[in-house]
Amino acid sequence: MKRHELIVIGAGPAGLSAAIEAKKSGMDVIVFDENSRPGGQLFKQIHKFFGSKEHHAKERGFKIGESLLAEAEELGVKVELNATVMGIYENKEVTVKMNGEVDHFKADKIIIATGAAENMIPFKGWNIPGVIGAGAAQAMMNLQGVKPGSKILMVGSGNVGLVVSFQLLQAGCEVAAVIDAAPRVGGYGVHAAKVARTGVPFYLSHTVIEAKGTDHVSGAVIAEVDSHFQPIPGTEKELDVDTICIAVGLSPMSQLASNAKCDMALIPQKGGNVALLSEYGETNIKGIYCAGDVAGIEEASSAMIQGRSVASHVCYSLGYITEEEFNTKYDSYQEALGKLRMGMFAPANKGRNDFTVTDEGYPISKNLLAKGYMTEEELENFPAYNYKKAGVHPIIECTQNIPCNPCQDACPKKCIKVGENITMLPQIDEEQGCIGCGLCVASCSGQAIFLMDETSDPDGVLISFPYEFLPLPEVGDKGTALSRSGAPVCEAVITDVKKTKVMDKTAVVTMRVPHEFKNSARFYKPV
Amino acid sequence: MAKIIRTAHTEPFVEKPDDDMIICRCEEITKGEIRRAVYDGMSTMNEVKRYLRSGMGLCQGQTCQRLVQNIIAAEMKMKPTEVGMIQGRSPVRPVEIGIFSNNKTDVKEE
Ligand SMILES: Cc1cc2nc3c(=O)[nH]c(=O)nc-3n(C[C@H](O)[C@H](O)[C@H](O)COP(=O)(O)OP(=O)(O)OC[C@H]3O[C@@H](n4cnc5c(N)ncnc54)[C@H](O)[C@@H]3O)c2cc1C
Ligand code: SF4
Ligand code: SF4
Repeated sequence: MKRHELIVIGAGPAGLSAAIEAKKSGMDVIVFDENSRPGGQLFKQIHKFFGSKEHHAKERGFKIGESLLAEAEELGVKVELNATVMGIYENKEVTVKMNGEVDHFKADKIIIATGAAENMIPFKGWNIPGVIGAGAAQAMMNLQGVKPGSKILMVGSGNVGLVVSFQLLQAGCEVAAVIDAAPRVGGYGVHAAKVARTGVPFYLSHTVIEAKGTDHVSGAVIAEVDSHFQPIPGTEKELDVDTICIAVGLSPMSQLASNAKCDMALIPQKGGNVALLSEYGETNIKGIYCAGDVAGIEEASSAMIQGRSVASHVCYSLGYITEEEFNTKYDSYQEALGKLRMGMFAPANKGRNDFTVTDEGYPISKNLLAKGYMTEEELENFPAYNYKKAGVHPIIECTQNIPCNPCQDACPKKCIKVGENITMLPQIDEEQGCIGCGLCVASCSGQAIFLMDETSDPDGVLISFPYEFLPLPEVGDKGTALSRSGAPVCEAVITDVKKTKVMDKTAVVTMRVPHEFKNSARFYKPV
Repeated sequence: MAKIIRTAHTEPFVEKPDDDMIICRCEEITKGEIRRAVYDGMSTMNEVKRYLRSGMGLCQGQTCQRLVQNIIAAEMKMKPTEVGMIQGRSPVRPVEIGIFSNNKTDVKEE
């Protein structure tokens, strides 16, 4: 039996970050992951992440995974792949299924960073092939290159449902609808808006009641629900879909903590069954810790910081760093976590729906929560949308307090400011001169920034928007400009397509539309 | 966890239209079977698991654990948080019996 100072279970963002932190201090650490590739959830994520620069915001998820892995490799962290941890026994003995046998390891400390599993909802026919989890859909598209289906119903409007809907559209699937039993969109408004403007309808207060079909899904019946989430008879609608994608939340995968006999509790704010942890992430069993989604469903950004924070406590308790060093590290990690955990989507606000104004005092869009897009009247409450000047300039349709600020770092002219507190809304600094480079448009993780130019072209207004679909339109192409809800607005002519390396595969496309449509045209559909 | 008071039923078991819906896919256990297990006196996740094998299949309860919990809670008129969870047991993932028998018996520390 091999002995290590620290065993980390799971090589996702939390586990890898913990291992990096520990290894840096000189500790002997080994990481086990049951997958054949490290990175956890990150390797399925092809979208640009939220957060701030320090948390790799605006980088695509899989890139963040790659850079964590490179850092771990450089430090010489030992990562055992295809190694499934089967159980945790007394005296921190761990059994691992690897190389066709059951191997035993012992450690002074164990960090459990096993992530989360998808929730399911049962309904008539839910076990027919074609009802899949959103994670499965992502793995098919983004890892295996297989389209999960051609017409999809997305059940769940949280960030996972919204992000995966967009990825399904990118893969060439049709998304028939996004539905949610809750009366409001659960994920970030900007994620919803980028799906809505492609024409996907949102049905809030709706649930799926039946998957039609025998050996595969041939349709879905949805119905409106009452305030107790019970389907209202007579409101049923049948949708012509071949795939039903379920994205109704994640549950911490905490069986190992339970197996180790840690004190557990079902805590809805944390997404399910979790081990009870001290402020340093330690369970009631000394030397066993939890970090990342297994400790409570959050984000990759917070999982990485949590991993480091927990590992710093391990370093301290094994004498690799002094108390003073530990305190400094711990405080800085907590401060970083605190910043991420502000705003209306903070873990502490989970389930709250009484927000009526932003932290700045602007009225929150009701339409965004009910339909996935904002009305022009609602947008007018936000200064960063109303900004007007001659020549090219940004307009920002980011209206919720989310932990995100890549727009601020992207602008070479410092036109956009979020400030110290990353959940504040981006503001436009009128003093600075926008040069129309489009970097803000391409780097906005929420695809919520547009450029407007009302004066440079005598034939109309020029609107630039982010575009992540293939094939890219070409200059001179004629097509249809779409509104925020994806409805056809008018004819549009493509006048520019910018695609540079720093834009990282988000093209900035400019279309010309007649003046009267400047506030409504936000997307483009080729004819 | 709340204290459970067990008393024999005086009313007969009432069937429901969606009782044939499969809840635990791996072990093919229906909602009706879970409801009946509660009627028969099982009142925690662990009891229902031992009685029916729900959560003992390939995914080890990953998919159905929360669903079973909700059904038990509804039958017991309790909150899901009061029903408890399945005790995590090794192996937390299914392991081929051939590998299981390939246990490195040298458990002395190197
Ligand atoms: C669609 C989607 C979009 C997202 N978008 C964002 C975003 O924009 N920004 C953001 O910050 N976050 C985002 N997230 C969330 C983020 O991916 C997760 O919060 C993060 O990956 C959690 O990290 P983790 O290390 O805790 O767990 P994971 O990434 O899940 O890693 C856990 C690892 O543990 C391994 N493991 C589990 N059990 C065992 C075992 N018994 N033995 C060995 N190994 C085991 C698994 O194989 C896995 O590799 C998104 C998630 C999804 C699903
Ligand atoms: S287009 Fe360029 S200069 Fe103008 S606001 Fe955006 S990043 Fe700044
Ligand atoms: S505008 Fe800025 S804060 Fe808002 S989603 Fe885009 S990058 Fe994030």
